[in-house]
Amino acid sequence: MLKTKGKVFAVIAAMAIAVTGVITAPATAAAQIKIGVTVYDMSSFITQGKEGMQAFAKANNIQLVWLSAGGDVATQASQVEQLINQKVKGIIIVPVQADSLAPQVKAAKAAKIPVFAVNTTLKDSSGLTSSVLPDDVAAGAQEMEQMATALGGKGNIVILQGPLGSSPELNRTAGIEKVLAKYPNIKVLAKDTANWGRDQATNKVKNWLSSFGDKINGIVAENDDMGLGAVQALKEANKKLPVVGIDGIQDGLAAVAAGDFIGSSLQHGRVELAAGLAVALMVTQGKSVKTTYTYVMPPITPANVGQYTKNVVSDKDAFLKRLPAVIAKNLKSGNIANEN
Amino acid sequence: MLKNNTSALGNLEEIEKVSWNKERVTNLLVRNSMVFVLLIVIGYFSFKNDGFLTLPNLRTILIASAPFALITLGQTLVILTGGIDLSVGSVIALATMTSAKFVVTNPNQFWFAIGLGIFVGLIAGIINGLVVAYLNVTPFVTTLGMLTIASGLAYAIGNGAPINGLPERWGNIANTKFLGFQSPVFVMIAGFIIIGVIMTRTSFGLRIYAVGGNRVAAEVAGVNSRRILIYVYAISGTLAGLSGVILSSRVISGPPNLGSGYELSAIAAVVIGGASLMGGRGKIWGSFLGLLLIQTLNNGLDILIIPAYWQRVISGVLIISAVTVDMWATKRSSK
Repeated sequence: MLKTKGKVFAVIAAMAIAVTGVITAPATAAAQIKIGVTVYDMSSFITQGKEGMQAFAKANNIQLVWLSAGGDVATQASQVEQLINQKVKGIIIVPVQADSLAPQVKAAKAAKIPVFAVNTTLKDSSGLTSSVLPDDVAAGAQEMEQMATALGGKGNIVILQGPLGSSPELNRTAGIEKVLAKYPNIKVLAKDTANWGRDQATNKVKNWLSSFGDKINGIVAENDDMGLGAVQALKEANKKLPVVGIDGIQDGLAAVAAGDFIGSSLQHGRVELAAGLAVALMVTQGKSVKTTYTYVMPPITPANVGQYTKNVVSDKDAFLKRLPAVIAKNLKSGNIANEN
Repeated sequence: MLKNNTSALGNLEEIEKVSWNKERVTNLLVRNSMVFVLLIVIGYFSFKNDGFLTLPNLRTILIASAPFALITLGQTLVILTGGIDLSVGSVIALATMTSAKFVVTNPNQFWFAIGLGIFVGLIAGIINGLVVAYLNVTPFVTTLGMLTIASGLAYAIGNGAPINGLPERWGNIANTKFLGFQSPVFVMIAGFIIIGVIMTRTSFGLRIYAVGGNRVAAEVAGVNSRRILIYVYAISGTLAGLSGVILSSRVISGPPNLGSGYELSAIAAVVIGGASLMGGRGKIWGSFLGLLLIQTLNNGLDILIIPAYWQRVISGVLIISAVTVDMWATKRSSK
């Protein structure tokens, strides 16, 4: 109901602009809902996410105040304070670090500004109105299942981990281990970090190939970049083994299509971050929201990689056009990661 | 009685001979301590794992060494002048991103993209050199500044994100093989030979040592020390640019954080190789050994499945002990 009202208002506003032109522009700008966003840094995931948020904001008359913390906790804290001073209607945080920002969130609460965490939660989540979070444990479990299926439930694997102690690494490793418990015939020969990097993963896997020779049957990488590094190491050693990744970055999707990866899991920044903005919008409109929305990464397989490549890479403009409608539908259905 | 005396004399002579030999052996050991450390490390790993002492693993160590070798060479020259180049890791990132960005939009201008990456490194190096030589800003501060500038620019080129979707052909640079070895291995060997010869056989090499040993004395002797400094930083930057191109080709992508922290590896190799951070003393051969030692350790510890965090501890211990041994050896030989 509120939504149709909003649409009608938007149409009237648009007509008003069309008729009166420049003069009414400040008036409509004031009618826009101002929502602040602070992100940890501009990674490729966040770059995608920004596109998604902008597409959703444009379709829903939202004015985005976009800030990037450059990987620094202190910068992010002052950005949240800055957004409070600007009296935005909601603050979306993609945290630099889980264990941070408690005083700022409290200050926002005191100023009656709802705060949302997207992608990573805050350790003290009591001040958060709602969160949109990826299920990294499920992603780890999913890639391990993909590998177990490819190996027929038995064989030796090596695991490339993210930076040790970071929350995606801990969760993805937990997911992998959960599934491994079900397959006693799959043995882990080695696991170590390659810090999400392709170059480090290449060298690490080459060294492991020296160590284990033909004993390795599969390589599980906790992100696509390290998986691509493993593929490079295999090519240099003239070997071919099943490799699996997570994230669905452009080169990862291409690797699935080319058969270098047996699969991956898609974490689509455009969808995940736009969902965060949509939840914030619902709160400003007085609608009730869930405390947590979980983004369950869809599996990327050779069968569906074509469609996802279109959405993420080759046809992303078309995807961004239909994104606001997709997001609205997802919030109703609860399947936040859906792309259709 | 007489007989006894002669034999005693003979014994004395013999003792003198033995101790002289001992001294010579100790000196030899001390002077080439790194060779022996390297041999011990190789022996240990070979004993522990059959996969270590094999031709494929030698290839693995050498290809991993190549990108580090180039910046280690540049770093050696800079350190010989008494300076330091902290910017090489970021210059790698900048060169990588520049070539990647260019080749992804112009897949046919292959050679130009390679040249562009190297050129960017050259420019960064020249700027370092000019600031150090003419503005007299300390090398540490100058190259620390360049570290942040180049890293920031690398991120700016990709709008903060890695560049994906590079043409398959881009991988040919680092993945073409001769005699089973990938091309960067030959670039590394050529680099060591060329710079080794320059440092030992040319007046340019001599002048680098002179500037590092005593800049004032060098200038009195007619060496244009400013020019030498600019050359040295320019060479370091250019080699970092080349290293960036090679790395980006090996993984066929443009990550803006590629090479971060590599400068420390290069400095460690030079220091382990026996160069003095005060300048004027050090050898290309030493840096080569230092590099090989670090890379062999990385490889061997991975083969023995030692976790990455313990590898860091071991590398740190190695750096400190190498420098300690070197200082002790220098003291001894100057006695």
